[in-house]
Amino acid sequence: MYDVCIIGSGAGGSPIAYELANAGFKVVVLEKGANYTEKDFNKDELAVSRRDMFTPPLSEQKHIINEYAPDGTFTRYDGEKSGWNFWNGSLVGGSSNLMSGYFHRLKPNDFKLKSVYGEIEGANVVDWAISYEELEPFYDKVEKIVGVSGKIVNHKHQEPRSSLSFPYPELQTNGVTKWFDKACEVLGYESIPTPRAVLSQDALKRRGCYYSNFCGSYGCASGAKGSARAALLQKCEAKIITDAFVYKLESDAKQIKKAYYYTKLGFAHAIKAKIFVVAAQAIETSRLLLNSKNKFFPQGLANSSGEVGKNLIFSAGGSGQGRFVFEKLTQKQQEELMTTGLFFNRSLQDWYEYEAEGKKYKGGTIDFLFEHQNIIPRVKREMYDAEGKLLWGEALAQKIHKTLTTSRVLTFEVFNDWLPTDNCSVSVDDTTEDKYGVLVGVINLNGHPHDLQVGEHLAKKAVKVLEMMGAVEISYNISSAPPPNLVAGGCRFGEDVKTSVLDKNCKAHDLENLYVTDASFMPTGGSVPYTWTIYANSFRVAEVIKKELSS
Amino acid sequence: MQTMKNKLSRRNFLKAGFLSSSVMVMSGCSLFSITTPQETLRVLQDDLFPKAEALGINTSSYLHIVFHHSRISKAEKEYLKNGVKWLNEEAVKLHKTSYVKLLSTQRENVLQNFVKTDWGEVYLADVMNYLFEAMLGDPIYGGNTKEAGWKWLQFEGGQPRPKERYL
Repeated sequence: MYDVCIIGSGAGGSPIAYELANAGFKVVVLEKGANYTEKDFNKDELAVSRRDMFTPPLSEQKHIINEYAPDGTFTRYDGEKSGWNFWNGSLVGGSSNLMSGYFHRLKPNDFKLKSVYGEIEGANVVDWAISYEELEPFYDKVEKIVGVSGKIVNHKHQEPRSSLSFPYPELQTNGVTKWFDKACEVLGYESIPTPRAVLSQDALKRRGCYYSNFCGSYGCASGAKGSARAALLQKCEAKIITDAFVYKLESDAKQIKKAYYYTKLGFAHAIKAKIFVVAAQAIETSRLLLNSKNKFFPQGLANSSGEVGKNLIFSAGGSGQGRFVFEKLTQKQQEELMTTGLFFNRSLQDWYEYEAEGKKYKGGTIDFLFEHQNIIPRVKREMYDAEGKLLWGEALAQKIHKTLTTSRVLTFEVFNDWLPTDNCSVSVDDTTEDKYGVLVGVINLNGHPHDLQVGEHLAKKAVKVLEMMGAVEISYNISSAPPPNLVAGGCRFGEDVKTSVLDKNCKAHDLENLYVTDASFMPTGGSVPYTWTIYANSFRVAEVIKKELSS
Repeated sequence: MQTMKNKLSRRNFLKAGFLSSSVMVMSGCSLFSITTPQETLRVLQDDLFPKAEALGINTSSYLHIVFHHSRISKAEKEYLKNGVKWLNEEAVKLHKTSYVKLLSTQRENVLQNFVKTDWGEVYLADVMNYLFEAMLGDPIYGGNTKEAGWKWLQFEGGQPRPKERYL
């Protein structure tokens, strides 16, 4: 029997594996996908970005999506037929292999949103069961173990830190960042170097970044990116079973007894352990618990509260862009603009909290980055003229060549709270099954109008920066479309057993040996990409499990 | 040990023949002629983006990969094939012969009419999608010969490059 069985090998599960295995406990990790190492990763745009090699085919595994309108009605989408894809990365290390690694901590007020900013009608906002101060040592631990590079600058929303600086210096940046910094200075905004979970130098028995120009969406061939695989799983002796899809947890009234999984060839196996940790990413974690209902838990495992799957959240906001064209630039500026490989790495948090019409709002973060270097979407975007008419022939060739060789796009991403609501949740479909014959997850989607209001406020600030920098063709889009790679909630933690699934240590209220350590525990998501928080919380829970096993 | 409820089916690779299979071109209710996706798509891609051929890039050979790819759905492959039929029927309607037998000015006329319909525009954009994949994907897939597509746009592919095709 194993001491710990972990379901899912991403940012939520791997810190548990790392800490417990390195403490001498017998740990097994069950991962649905395959294993890759640095030697296996390459920059094949067709395979990675157009054929989705790291996610399951929707013809085999999909979701049902119910998109809610403001009047409470919804439209049902079949994931396969619509192409609406919520998979993020089925491989050892999960989607952390494919992240860009924009690493921001949540801030102290993110842990007490209800207390500080008050109730918002139609939203189920609650405070967290822990404070920033309780999580801070683990944010610090992630900086050192996973590896975060950057430079601390003082600004009005800088969160308290126990270490003065990041353990690794900033990554090299493109000369255009100087234009950005100057524009911010004129506007009175505080430009922040974006911390990255990317090593800027050889360290931690991993190689430093080699500036491949293809970071987000791609696996890292040097190990510089702080994926759960490179940073943690390759640094411990946990046993990893790949191609293992966990479809059911078996329990009695008090404890999980076994995890059942299917192999790639369709054979079922079971694993026994003292403690089970579920970290399959929020949607699949709720789906697994709901699909594991039994006579002791007829509504689904750990679901006596009826809260499993409820209050699913994403990251609200949207994105925008502006284009820099040679006609408006000096020769030197043109060269700076077209220098590839180096990062942009700039963020704004001036409006993490702001006032409008006498009311205090929780705002968010704006990250600036160059448009992704994948060339095929950049060329495809040129297929239409200004009136939206399809071009072909010589006219199209000339347009593509001019745009791609004499201009470059700077983009921005807005991150603000996705407020939890009744109509945003996970359930299980009554009849639709995946290739394993297991009922698929249903994603109920609902965006709160407040999210759009805040997102608009932030996007307009970002536009001012692009205007000041001299960009043209500036546009943005703030919407309720959820980013599938930032998903949380569904198994809230809290003190009240009637309104939460997990206790403050992310152990199920209903069961003695079940923990959930992906982003499912989060009642609110903060106004940042929250991978750092998932890592930090998992390291925190690892301490709890270690103590429990040691006693 | 139990087997799962629904047996994992092997992916149904379309073994061969999609590109060279027959497409019946109708004129009203009558069969006008028979063509193949390969024949029409080769000419169509040259018409849509002659720059590729000028760069020494053969985009139509990449269609073999598209029609056999495990991650491109059967519905998408059928759609590509059906568009060949629609395009040829437009050619027959306008010029009384199939697309590949027309003069280049006549083919341009067909495209100008074809694109006025929503479905025609969407189809041509889909064909161009694969054309640009061929021209700008990694040279290992056989289209972007000697990185000619990348060099034309002063683009450097990321490193490391793939050692084998993902099919």
